[in-house]
Amino acid sequence: MARRERKQLIACLLVFLCTVCFPTSSLADDGGLVASVEASHKFSKEVSAGAELEFRSRNNFRTADRVSLGADVSYKLLPWLKASGGYALLIDNNPEKLTYQDDGVSYNNWRPSYWGVRHRFNVTLTGSHKIHRVELSLRERWQYTYRPSKITDNFDFDEAEWEDHEVRGKGKNVLRSRLQLEWDIPKCKFDPFASVEFHTTRELEKTRFIAGVGYGVKKKHNFKLYYRYQITGSSSDEPNIHMLGMGYTYKF
Amino acid sequence: MKQFLRYTLLMVSLTLLMTSCIKDDTDLDEVVAQYTVTPAEVEIDLTDLNEAPDVPVTDENDPAYNDYVENTDWDDAISINFDGEAVVINGKVPGVMVQTDGNHITVMNMAGPVKFVLSGQTNNGSVKFYGDKRIQVLLNGADITNPHGAAINNQGGKSMYVVLADGTHNRLQDGINYTDVEAEDQKATLFSEGQMIFSGKGRLDVFAQGRGAIRSDDYIRIRPGVKLYIESQALDGLRANDGITMDGGSVNVVTNGLGAKGVRSGGLMTVNGGRLIAINGGDTRIEYTPEGLMDTTACAALSCDSLLMVNGGTLKFKATGDGGKAINAKQDISIQGGSTVAVATGTKKMKKPRGVKIDGNFDISGGYFYAYSRRSDPIDVAGKTTLAPGYKNYELTPKLLTIAY
Repeated sequence: MARRERKQLIACLLVFLCTVCFPTSSLADDGGLVASVEASHKFSKEVSAGAELEFRSRNNFRTADRVSLGADVSYKLLPWLKASGGYALLIDNNPEKLTYQDDGVSYNNWRPSYWGVRHRFNVTLTGSHKIHRVELSLRERWQYTYRPSKITDNFDFDEAEWEDHEVRGKGKNVLRSRLQLEWDIPKCKFDPFASVEFHTTRELEKTRFIAGVGYGVKKKHNFKLYYRYQITGSSSDEPNIHMLGMGYTYKF
Repeated sequence: MKQFLRYTLLMVSLTLLMTSCIKDDTDLDEVVAQYTVTPAEVEIDLTDLNEAPDVPVTDENDPAYNDYVENTDWDDAISINFDGEAVVINGKVPGVMVQTDGNHITVMNMAGPVKFVLSGQTNNGSVKFYGDKRIQVLLNGADITNPHGAAINNQGGKSMYVVLADGTHNRLQDGINYTDVEAEDQKATLFSEGQMIFSGKGRLDVFAQGRGAIRSDDYIRIRPGVKLYIESQALDGLRANDGITMDGGSVNVVTNGLGAKGVRSGGLMTVNGGRLIAINGGDTRIEYTPEGLMDTTACAALSCDSLLMVNGGTLKFKATGDGGKAINAKQDISIQGGSTVAVATGTKKMKKPRGVKIDGNFDISGGYFYAYSRRSDPIDVAGKTTLAPGYKNYELTPKLLTIAY
């Protein structure tokens, strides 16, 4: 790639990121960390499998948000098309829920934060296409997450007592669509990448913007450092969140 | 593999470095503690009270002069002794006619002040008084149950002095169903059309199943030394239309009827001493008018239609039923001394429970005052609240109000 082309690509990436991220961020946004360790193995040209341990924090890095353990299997259907399926056990630190009386000042109910598990299954199709040294990929993922019912504590201010509250079990289907650009810079161990991902149920629930860089050591060890900005839909009471991402993948 | 472990350790270390394990919950521990505060204990207390000697008023111009049984000459006396199936009546007073129907005694008093001494036990008996003369009913170990109505019924409009003979234990009980006499009231197990003044150093237990326990259509006065235990499953425990004065004594009231009141004063209620404990476990009474409109009546451990004035003594009230008020004052409450504790722990399905509900003003200048309501504000004052300066402690939380001088 010519020097001029490289500059153009970097400029395009920056403009893309600036356009999608910064106008929507606000002071009320949260901050957190997403860190992962992954091990993957290629059994053949077509088949590979991996396992991942991930940790997330929220509340400006101060509160643990989630620990997850997942595994997936991939199969290369075509040179440009890959199919995969996976399962993840999510252990969530669910945030508190505080409601108020009609006057908007007096407390009504308070369910403090609690840890709960979810089971997530996914089926993914990823198509990719390389233009010079830039790889463009589109990933379509259907994921089903099941949350078993759980009894939690709830303080009822009307009754002035702690009571058991059942968080009912429920399942949720989400379609995740991710468009990613990855640039393989010649004679450089750093590979910048950027992506945008949409989480859709009946409406757009979340949009994630990611920009980062990958770094490989002897092809076996890959590191990722990235920034992720997540915008939640209007129907959610979750705040938008800025996240610092760190990932390590061991390929064997 | 070694490198994998090394890098993994590096990632974990970095993660731990950038994360702390602080909860992001709103700090509500203190608020919750205020809501879950354990209320003051209000329990029946039958222990003896240490009271100052009861000195009768001797000034004839004092409005209370006639409330003292000692200020009347009781030269004439008739004793009625229940002995299971039979009744023995001793003493004859001109102008006083005593009729018996089994163990049901009817007295017509046309003479003057007469003392009636009641003793013995009957499961199917009663005493009814007619005549507009003062009477003294000396309970000397009487145990009277009337399955069909009031155990003692004074139809006369003058004072009935109920004297509890020293050291005696007396018991009165009504039945579930009353047999009424036309144009006559029998509103309680112990009922009087006229004022009722309790004195003596004995104990009287009154049980009500059909109507109220103790009721006067005039006023009630309780003097030091008296020990009353009142239990009503139906209507009010202790009720007087024209007011209640408590100078001393120990009164325990337990009521469980729908919409019933533990203690109800239709007029001025004054507490100068003694110990009054009322526990009401009843729920809101629901009735329907002929038009089909719903009418609800909440319970109260103490209900006062006029001014409630506390100058001394120990008062404890507790309402545990739906919408129950520990104290429900239709006018003002004025506290100058003593200790007043009001606790409401009931639900609020039909009515709002309250520690203290005051439709008028609330004035406090002495003593100790405590109000608690588990499911609503501890106190609700429609009028003005005045705290005289000099209080040692004032604490108001969502469920509790404490004022101490």
